[in-house]
Amino acid sequence: MKSIRYVDALNDHYTAMGNPPYRWTVNESAPLHRLDKPLEECSVSLLTSGGVSQCSMPAFNADARNDHRLDAIDRDVNATDFQIHDSYYDHSDADNDINCIFPVERLRELAALGEIGKVSDRLWSGFMGRIYNRSKVLEESGPDFAAALREDGVDILLAAPS
Amino acid sequence: MGLVCRLLEEHGIATVYVATGRDLTALVKPPRALFVNHPMGNNFGRAGDTATQTDIVRAALAMIDSAERGGELIDYPTTWSEKFSFAPVGKAIAATA
Repeated sequence: MKSIRYVDALNDHYTAMGNPPYRWTVNESAPLHRLDKPLEECSVSLLTSGGVSQCSMPAFNADARNDHRLDAIDRDVNATDFQIHDSYYDHSDADNDINCIFPVERLRELAALGEIGKVSDRLWSGFMGRIYNRSKVLEESGPDFAAALREDGVDILLAAPS
Repeated sequence: MGLVCRLLEEHGIATVYVATGRDLTALVKPPRALFVNHPMGNNFGRAGDTATQTDIVRAALAMIDSAERGGELIDYPTTWSEKFSFAPVGKAIAATA
């Protein structure tokens, strides 16, 4: 099937709610950092924005706006130790198998096979959708995240938005 | 999250963005993006389908070396087997209604 036209669907939703037209970010180019070592030597981390938290942590606000919360998750986490709170997508599959959106077990397997160097010590959940104060991402939460990844020696981030 | 990936790349961390929204991804243009035509919430496949999950992770990681320019967007070849749709219902957007 053809891909879903999310921009049109969300524009219609905004308009129906009486909001002004949403101003989408449009970028014409993108930076690219090339690595100088093979995948087999790289430390890989994961990021989900799907409202995923460990059961011992508070739930994410399922209807959050401008939520810059970012949870660190131990790489050896039990894959059943998660809860998902986000009212903007159907997470029924991910409720049963977190690897649908946060493939921690698959990544650990690739490390065991030697296809990647290692899974980084910390994995991440945050930057939920509906962050409208983008300057805070660029000036605060984003640089803080970059510093945490550098502290862990991360080479690659696998990011899965929901 | 695409914005975060762009920023991380400028801080020396290579990123791959595994997206289920092709049009949204094309606008934000993260440095490397693999579009997977699955429902939102199934970026890596179905519950218990470890083979597909692994294959999508591998396809994403392969872009680390293969991407030649920032903003590259590749389509994962296999799509969802049933029709699916998207209907935003959350209160955050509806808050002013």
